[in-house]
Amino acid sequence: MGMKARNLLDRLFSGVGVLAIVVMGLALVLILAPIFSRGAGAYIFKATVEHRRMLLERFERGNAEALAAEAEAVREARAPVYAMLARYAAEDLAGLSGREKREARQRLEEVEDILQELFGPMPGAATPVLPRQQYGATRWDRAEVKLDRLLYVETWDYSDSGSMGQQVLKPRREEFAGTALEPLFGYVETHLEAMLRPEWTFYWGFLTDSSFDAHIFGGIWPELVGTIYLTLGAMVFAVPLGIVSAIYFAEYAQEGRLVSLLRTCVSTLAGVPSIVFGLFGLAFFINTMHVSRSKSVLAGSLTLGMLILPTVIRAAEEAIRAVPHSYKEAAVGLGAGRWRTVVTVILPAALPGILTGTVISMGRAAGETAPIIFTAAVSVGKVLSPWETLTQPTPALSWNIYNLCTEHEAVDEIRHVQFGMAATLVLAVLLLNLVAIIMRARISNKLKG
Amino acid sequence: MGTPRSSRQSLVMSARANLAAALSRWLGNGLLLAITSVAAIGVLFILFFIARDAVPFFQLRGFKEFFTSTHWYPSQEPVEFGALSIFVGSGLVTLGAALVAAPLGVAAALCLSDVLPFGVRQAVKPVIEMLAAIPSVAYGFFALVVFAPWLQRLGAITGTNALNVSIILGIMALPTVVSVSEDALQAVGRELREGSYALGATRAETLLRTIVPAASSGILAAVLLGIMRALGETMVVWMASGNAAQIPDPWFNFLEPVRTLTATIAGDMGEADHVTGSARYHVLFAMGLCLLLFCFACNLISEWVVSIQRRKLKGE
Amino acid sequence: MSPATQDGRTGVDTGLGDRFKPSNVASGREDVPPLHDILEQTEAHVATRDFSIFYRDNEAVKKITMEIPMRLVTAIIGPSGCGKSTLLRAINRMNDLIPGCHTTGEMRFDGQDIYDKKIDVAILRRRVGMVFQKPNPFPKSIYDNVAYGPRLHGITRHSRLDEIVQRSLVQAALWEEVKDRLDTNGLGLSGGQQQRLCLARALAVDPEILLMDEPTSALDPRATTRIEDLIGELRGSYTIIIVTHNMQQAARVSDLTAFLYEGVLVEYGPTKQLFTKPREKQTEDYITGRFG
Ligand SMILES: Nc1ncnc2c1ncn2[C@@H]1O[C@H](COP(=O)(O)OP(=O)(O)OP(=O)(O)O)[C@@H](O)[C@H]1O
Ligand SMILES: [Mg+2]
Repeated sequence: MGMKARNLLDRLFSGVGVLAIVVMGLALVLILAPIFSRGAGAYIFKATVEHRRMLLERFERGNAEALAAEAEAVREARAPVYAMLARYAAEDLAGLSGREKREARQRLEEVEDILQELFGPMPGAATPVLPRQQYGATRWDRAEVKLDRLLYVETWDYSDSGSMGQQVLKPRREEFAGTALEPLFGYVETHLEAMLRPEWTFYWGFLTDSSFDAHIFGGIWPELVGTIYLTLGAMVFAVPLGIVSAIYFAEYAQEGRLVSLLRTCVSTLAGVPSIVFGLFGLAFFINTMHVSRSKSVLAGSLTLGMLILPTVIRAAEEAIRAVPHSYKEAAVGLGAGRWRTVVTVILPAALPGILTGTVISMGRAAGETAPIIFTAAVSVGKVLSPWETLTQPTPALSWNIYNLCTEHEAVDEIRHVQFGMAATLVLAVLLLNLVAIIMRARISNKLKG
Repeated sequence: MGTPRSSRQSLVMSARANLAAALSRWLGNGLLLAITSVAAIGVLFILFFIARDAVPFFQLRGFKEFFTSTHWYPSQEPVEFGALSIFVGSGLVTLGAALVAAPLGVAAALCLSDVLPFGVRQAVKPVIEMLAAIPSVAYGFFALVVFAPWLQRLGAITGTNALNVSIILGIMALPTVVSVSEDALQAVGRELREGSYALGATRAETLLRTIVPAASSGILAAVLLGIMRALGETMVVWMASGNAAQIPDPWFNFLEPVRTLTATIAGDMGEADHVTGSARYHVLFAMGLCLLLFCFACNLISEWVVSIQRRKLKGE
Repeated sequence: MSPATQDGRTGVDTGLGDRFKPSNVASGREDVPPLHDILEQTEAHVATRDFSIFYRDNEAVKKITMEIPMRLVTAIIGPSGCGKSTLLRAINRMNDLIPGCHTTGEMRFDGQDIYDKKIDVAILRRRVGMVFQKPNPFPKSIYDNVAYGPRLHGITRHSRLDEIVQRSLVQAALWEEVKDRLDTNGLGLSGGQQQRLCLARALAVDPEILLMDEPTSALDPRATTRIEDLIGELRGSYTIIIVTHNMQQAARVSDLTAFLYEGVLVEYGPTKQLFTKPREKQTEDYITGRFG
């Protein structure tokens, strides 16, 4: 082969490698960008007057007087809408009969439903039972979607049987041409801002509020607390056990059959699929040991603890082995026994390394879902007190992300909650890893002197 | 200079002190070993308890139906527990993930260990760490809510299919593949590289003819570990594979929805839990047992393969 | 020789202190008594007989028989890998840390066979202190470094600890430099200071023997001089056994010198004599720099 061809091949080869890394980086960006950008929408968004009303009534936050003034302004802006509805009912609907009347009433009800979703209950109507019907659109982006639904009727055109149906949008105004309701659509379109008064808001309560009505309102506090409980619980089980095991492996074990068997066991444990941990947690901790009657934070923590145990052991052992031999010699030279040496010299010196590994496994425990499905997680629940964790299941960020985007009745209504939850979880986990990375860098700097 | 000394401690321990010291050393060692064993024996516990609940299924329904039939109707009378299509689904997405992760991961590892300058390498490390750290449910959420609509817009009938899951699982397996194979490549050492360069080989030739063959077993182990991760992953496949218990037609049609072992366990336990003791409950443990055994096998093979490389590098 | 007859030892009352001051040896006075005279006049503090040390099957120290006198400075020299460190570390059983390391023959300290099963290694190491080649202070404060040993052996009273820390640092000639920053990290000191800190740490448990394995090889010339001066000051109060690669150092600081070659004790005698009139050809070759 000529030199040129060989060099070209060499370039090509390097190019492929670099490409692979670029793809990896791109994948990371492509995954994180939508999660973070749309997740931020759960915290920062244009909130309407309905949002402020909800906050005041449910969480007693906000300025009651300002809100009253706002409500007055909004009522004025909305009044023409309700007047038009009333006129339509009185003038146009009254003039119809039979099937025509039924159809017209149906069309009217559709309009009324959408208006209710936008502005909340009609004036004078009884307060609905479901919270989601007590408030209009709390977010401006949702309000715009609903406005679209108000302005256009969505139909499907199946005339071309060869392909899938085509979506056709028809102005709803045409359905009411010539009636008292016809001006309503134009009016709502132009006056929506006045009727909802959107304002850019930083809703920190998303993190610290409980949710109600199946996450349609409120925040993710119970989920967050549940995740914290589960994670800390897992650490409580895994860290002491893991450190002791690491001490044994690094300082005490004489390499032999038994020790290599134990090592194989630990590394095999690291390869067990997380869902199998879940099954095991159910079969062992709940059905055999009866640590709790059914799912509980305790059972989930134990399961997660087992899951992260190999990671903790490996990190701690590595940290202990990285402690300079000279420290140990110095301590032993002064007459310290093995255990004293470990406790007074080796562990303190290995502590930052152990912490790094611990923090990384904390991130892992916080993000795992499969092991807690059968052992700890429920979809809806309140914030538990510490002793309730021994017996009660809890919602958790990871489980609720799954739950809200697959099993929720109004998946599209709460996209922002799903993204907000996902972003919060990912951010928390990445922050934990960042802490670990910084800690590790500082350790290696220190070892370099 | 010099200080008066208190009376010298005798070097010789009394018989009692000797016994006490020996005893406490022995006890301490025993205690440590016991605690470590608890940690290590966990895996045997898992095997035992999964197997204990899996055996009743095979007693109730035998082996043939489970492994050879594609009729999966666990909740309709008459119940049928043919899991073949589920095994195929698991295999298919794992194969897809391996096809994504293996070439990308090995190429990236080669690039990291031999092509990129040190500074760039330090910058790439956090990318890999972040990919590894993102929780699986977040990957699943992305696959379902963001990636599936993209695929659909590109013309797939449904976005939740084997292709979607394979790509995402491949990305999830990448960090494992990259870091383990990079370790293997680094372990080959400078001498071999310099020897090859000294003979006038280009970088590509050095890597492909000398380094990769020397590190091949480590790279194989890396791919195996990546496969293990993909096979054992639950949330992504549960959320974004479509969960249709059917063998795609033809079998490699990645655009069809599939159903995997992990997703079946996760999805069915909610209902099966109420009927503890029925075949419906135990079949999920049977699936867990299959997963577990496969992962054990992968793990042992990869450890064995790595130990072979280590011996080879030491010089047989 | 009976074990430990004297208790309150001081620098000069050995009767040998002045006559064997290192400076005397180096100054070239001819009246150096032969080894057996020295050993006659002072007790042997450490004595070995047919003592061998193995790393698994590899015999690193071969059948050494020697007596190391009390309160003098004994140097061990020899080419790299000849087993100096191994022999030194055997005296306080540091080799126990190395898996596969075992010994035959006997090594007596104060008349007691220290490889006996009944020996309390903690007490042995307390009485036989060690300073290592590279300064290895703990990543703790200066105070905690020095107090580590006393605490280990059960001293917890603050006033007592303060007293020990101060005495040890004074003895190691470090007190003046660090007395205002006892709570700063020991790793923040310079190399020479760190080594003196390690010396203070070893002195704090009040040992009888100080083992030093090339204590100055990681230090610059000035720090080296300080350590050598210190050895001169401690001589007479402690039995000091020092491994060194530096022949001038051995000549400067030691009373007796042992030359080890491939694990065998080739020659052992008063330093002055060994450096001026070596009996063995190998010794001569080594000290004149013909090999090693
Ligand atoms: N931990 C060990 N395991 C096995 N062999 C060892 C170990 N330490 C030392 N040896 C061997 O024992 C012999 C003596 O080593 P030792 O360290 O005592 O030499 P030394 O005289 O102190 O050398 P240096 O002057 O380089 O410090 C050497 O051949 C060495 O290879
Ligand atoms: Mg040495």
